[in-house]
Amino acid sequence: MRSLISALASPLRRTRWVLWVGVPLLSALVVMAASYALVRAYVLRQANADIRDVLLSHRGFHVYVQQVLLPGYDRALKEGRIPATFYDPRLMSSSYMTRVMHSFFNEERVKDGLPPIYYKMAADNPRNPVNRATPEEAQLIQRFNADHSLHDLAWTLTLHGEPYLERVIPFLPNTEACLQCHGRREDAPLGLQALYPGQGGFNEKLGQIRAVEIVRVPISHEIQTAALVSASVVGGVLGLLLLAMFNTRLRGLVQARTTLLEAEVRERRQAEAAVRELNQTLEYRVEERNAQLLAVNKELDAFAYSVSHDLRAPLRAIAGFSQALEEDYAQGVDDTGRDYLARIRKGCTRMGRLIEDLLQLSRLTRREISRVDLDLSALAREVAEELQAGAPGRKALFEIQPGLRASGDPTLLRAVLDNLLGNAFKFTAPVPEARISFGEDLADGQRVFFVRDNGVGFDMRYVDKLFGAFQRLHDAESFEGTGIGLATVQRVILRHGGRIWAESAPGQGATFFFTL
Amino acid sequence: MSKFILLVEDNPDDVVLALRALKRNHIANEVVVVRDGAEALDFLFAQGSHAGRNPEHLPEVVLLDLKLPKLHGLEVLQRIRAHESTCLMPVVVLTTSSEEQDIIESYRLGANSYIRKPVDFDQFTEAVRQLGMYWLVLNQSVKQAGEL
Repeated sequence: MRSLISALASPLRRTRWVLWVGVPLLSALVVMAASYALVRAYVLRQANADIRDVLLSHRGFHVYVQQVLLPGYDRALKEGRIPATFYDPRLMSSSYMTRVMHSFFNEERVKDGLPPIYYKMAADNPRNPVNRATPEEAQLIQRFNADHSLHDLAWTLTLHGEPYLERVIPFLPNTEACLQCHGRREDAPLGLQALYPGQGGFNEKLGQIRAVEIVRVPISHEIQTAALVSASVVGGVLGLLLLAMFNTRLRGLVQARTTLLEAEVRERRQAEAAVRELNQTLEYRVEERNAQLLAVNKELDAFAYSVSHDLRAPLRAIAGFSQALEEDYAQGVDDTGRDYLARIRKGCTRMGRLIEDLLQLSRLTRREISRVDLDLSALAREVAEELQAGAPGRKALFEIQPGLRASGDPTLLRAVLDNLLGNAFKFTAPVPEARISFGEDLADGQRVFFVRDNGVGFDMRYVDKLFGAFQRLHDAESFEGTGIGLATVQRVILRHGGRIWAESAPGQGATFFFTL
Repeated sequence: MSKFILLVEDNPDDVVLALRALKRNHIANEVVVVRDGAEALDFLFAQGSHAGRNPEHLPEVVLLDLKLPKLHGLEVLQRIRAHESTCLMPVVVLTTSSEEQDIIESYRLGANSYIRKPVDFDQFTEAVRQLGMYWLVLNQSVKQAGEL
């Protein structure tokens, strides 16, 4: 079962992983590519514009030389202010001057911590071999000549592992003025001819483009910037994306937890309601049970009343008529007959006491307990006096510890002492020096009252039967009793929340202990 | 009709024993016995089956059992005390019941005395004898007064 669940769950988990890793990665890549392309294009455009500015400033210089410097030189030559043989490229060649100027420019750049910018005036037929075009540059010259509307060309390239941006513009097309120095050699100024012996820079055609100006700048820094910017963008986007996903996930978690909590709250409310309902049911049941108990109690009352009245009526008849027989017809009955009549009356007396005791047991156990502070010693003394008054012939020594107080129901505790002291009095009858004591002990920190006698005692084997109703450990011949007294005592003690127990041995007396 | 005792008792054994005890105590007055609470009231108020009786001729004492058929002894007592002609009549509650409630209730309703019918015959006889002496003495004193 569990493997089936995990088998079902694993593809789901894989799908989630793909979603969690793949989607952000893919979007990051796309964003990176797009941002890189954008930033690179922007950076190159800026670089291109800068290069064009350089080239245009160079062109401006060329124009200045062509249109201002050289016509001045021409005039001075014609006016004879300078000798016909004078020519100095340092004063008259715009390409020379531009080249030198550019090298100064580079020196300034380097001083400023900037990389130098490569510059070349590439020509098919240069006067200075420095300016000679490579085959590629020669092709460019051809291209510009073929299409005069082409203003410039630009591209990037890698040299020795470094990226560069290269821009090329055509040199000024040859004018009439140009051809004064670049036409036929023999037409050129004498100083020029003297300085440049070969055909380099001569025989140019009118309108033709004889050179291109090339500027090449390193763009590694710009590329790095582009990469950095795009990486930042990607990082930012990725972060945002992750944040968004995390947020979604958190929201999902919160939602799930909220749902769980709501369910829990609902469950608790239901449980609470159930408990309340159960309580109500229980209360109702308790009330019902109480009502039943009250009804049962009422029935018991009625029963006890019937017992006290109905059982006694026939008994009274038996006792009364046997006495009447004995008294009114004594002559007609012999001694045996009179003995039988006496036995009948004795039986009636005993049964009357049984009924009385039973009624007392039921009355004592039914009535409400009212706890008051009681002087148990005084109560015991009262009982002892009554016992001795009831049997003037008996000699018994009562030792009652004074000042024993307890909280309990006066009537019920009186019944307890009646029974316990009465029993002690009864079972010490055969003993020559009867001693009966009532006192208090401490057992495990608890107050324990006791009634002790030195009477006939009983066998501890039968201690279980001691407190049962109608249970007797002695025969009726030796000791009278109904077997209800100790049952009554135990019920009273239990109803007070106490315990009662006894210790004895045959012929060794007995001690009854109780707590309240 | 001379001075008489009204015994309200449903148990015939108790009636016989009560009559015997009275006789043995030399109480020769007439004893009228009624068997239930309703009849006791009929007799006292000369109504129902006793409608022909003279209602002014009332017993010297009523020996009233509590547990009676038809009408409970306590109700009978209540009715006796509620009626003008019988409200001062001596009533001795006579019952086997030792329920505290009955005792308290009897006195509350105006019983003159409460005698528990003891199972022991001697005690019973003594109780009835003491009761008998109470009105016997009264009877004699009236008699003596009459003779004077």
